[in-house]
Amino acid sequence: MSYELIALFMFAAMMALLLTGQRVFGVIGAVAVIAALPLWGTGGVEIAFTQSIKLMKWYPLLTLPMFIFMGYMLSESRIADDLYRMFHVWFGPVPGGLAIGTIFLMVVISAMNGLSVAGMAIGATIALPELLRRNYDKVMITGVIQGGSSLGILIPPSVVLVLYGMIARQPVSQLWLAGVFPGLLMAGLFILYIFVRCQLQPHLGPPLPKDERDAITWKERIGLLRAGFLPFMIFFLMNGLFLMGYTSLVESSAVGALASMAAAFIKGRLNREVMENVMRKTLGISCMFMWIILAALCFGAVFDGLGAVRAIENFFLGQLGLEPWHVLILMQLSFLLMGTFLDDTAMLVIVAPLYVPLVKILGFDLVWYGILYTITCQIAYMTPPFGYNLFLMRAMAPPEIKLRHIYQSVIPFVAVMLLTLVIVMMFPEIALWLPEQFRGQLRG
Amino acid sequence: MRFLESYIRKVDAFNRRVGRFAMYLIFALMGVLFWSSVTKYAGSPALWTLEFAQFIMVGYYLLGGAYSMQMGDHVRMDLIYGMWSPRRKAAIDSVTVLFLIFYLCVLLYGGISSTTYAIEWGERAHSVWRPYMWPVKVIAVIGILLMLLQTIAELFRDILFLRGVSVNHASEAAL
Repeated sequence: MSYELIALFMFAAMMALLLTGQRVFGVIGAVAVIAALPLWGTGGVEIAFTQSIKLMKWYPLLTLPMFIFMGYMLSESRIADDLYRMFHVWFGPVPGGLAIGTIFLMVVISAMNGLSVAGMAIGATIALPELLRRNYDKVMITGVIQGGSSLGILIPPSVVLVLYGMIARQPVSQLWLAGVFPGLLMAGLFILYIFVRCQLQPHLGPPLPKDERDAITWKERIGLLRAGFLPFMIFFLMNGLFLMGYTSLVESSAVGALASMAAAFIKGRLNREVMENVMRKTLGISCMFMWIILAALCFGAVFDGLGAVRAIENFFLGQLGLEPWHVLILMQLSFLLMGTFLDDTAMLVIVAPLYVPLVKILGFDLVWYGILYTITCQIAYMTPPFGYNLFLMRAMAPPEIKLRHIYQSVIPFVAVMLLTLVIVMMFPEIALWLPEQFRGQLRG
Repeated sequence: MRFLESYIRKVDAFNRRVGRFAMYLIFALMGVLFWSSVTKYAGSPALWTLEFAQFIMVGYYLLGGAYSMQMGDHVRMDLIYGMWSPRRKAAIDSVTVLFLIFYLCVLLYGGISSTTYAIEWGERAHSVWRPYMWPVKVIAVIGILLMLLQTIAELFRDILFLRGVSVNHASEAAL
């Protein structure tokens, strides 16, 4: 059997087994070792365990449990309640203003957190009931929260970019910096969309009534700005110290985790129950990620050994006569297509090891591709029928929001995300300018 | 039958205890990393923190693995799986879980061979601190072994469930 055929067979076997619903890490690992044994004999036996040592030596991965811990801590600490009220009061008078304020809230949460779960939880439990009470359109605000919370993986810190960095062997600090402007661009486009739509159809997002607005004094308004203090401190302790070169990436994540605990303490939420919850979930999610990465590394190592990537490149460039750009666009399209059907975590670790070497051979910048990859992941998280965010949303949202509304709501936001993807593809400087300024200065 | 049941209960209880211990390692990890930034700020960076943090991480996810499996935290692709009845889920699982067991066996075999090598030759890391490698490898092997025992327990649990006995089965209510 030729190596290409083995590679194809591995991929098909993995898909088939994944469909049976066995645990994802088990399927990926099993297919990898079953392929490795006949290929390399006894030498192939070692390959699975060797990956755990490789995984251990990969320093930035230490940030993973820290950020997961931090995310759960922040959503349990209720730090967002005051923050939401602040945006609420300041943006209330504009049509659609509360929805715009919610996007701002999501940007702030994203800047403190590396996954979209925290933003989703805060959005669905705090913002959503309030927006419904104000007669905002159900479908629009459901989309606002899903779109907004997905910024969590693009705006640094980002766990997805940490994983990508591991596979693409790129410095995480560069990737994070590259995520800043595309993230803000996407948030800006979300806001623009909400603003324009609410100008055209004011009933979707009615402004706060005049008497209610007058009831809020200026003193109160200024006072509410203080709600931003705690999040800003956390943001500064984590990103500020890192960018100024005082702490390394991993140290920053530990500082951030400690700061989130301090914030919960200040809010009087650091009790036994919260601690138990946060620690339990952190262990569960970290283990889930780590075991999948362990298996995926093994899969990737076998795939590398087969030289499958060269074969794919040869097929596209040589036999089909395509330009590198065409291949890149085809890759993004296939990624999007897979994203609608595949489990997102699995996709993250399966697709990246396949695509990243190909992108490198084609001669594209891997930091820039990391951002394209993350945006595509964001979209995949949100596209029906299977998206992590969709299910989370259904689990967390109030009962009057039906699954139909959730599916409907993502359409315009996915369109805005696609637009961002195209803009960043056409103008790589948006992503690459900021990391260029810091190149070679940061550790980790 | 009685044997299967007592096996499940014993493995569950033991792994739960180990997992609860691993859960607290996150604070050790935080502490070590924090100490690392403090000593760096004080001008004499500690040399051992990086590797020690990595060792803790290995303990955290490998020793915690079995407990997280008990809790059902490992994702499955539920495109079709989600639509099945609890009985069918258990039936299919008890076949496909053999793949998982095979993977863990290969992982364990590789781990034992790598650990024996590390002990025999006194393998050390290539760094300034130069720690011995065998302690972390022993921890890894224990973690993988516990994961294997837990996976077998999950298989037994499904088999008993199919025979109408639930030992803390996830879909107990369906009986």
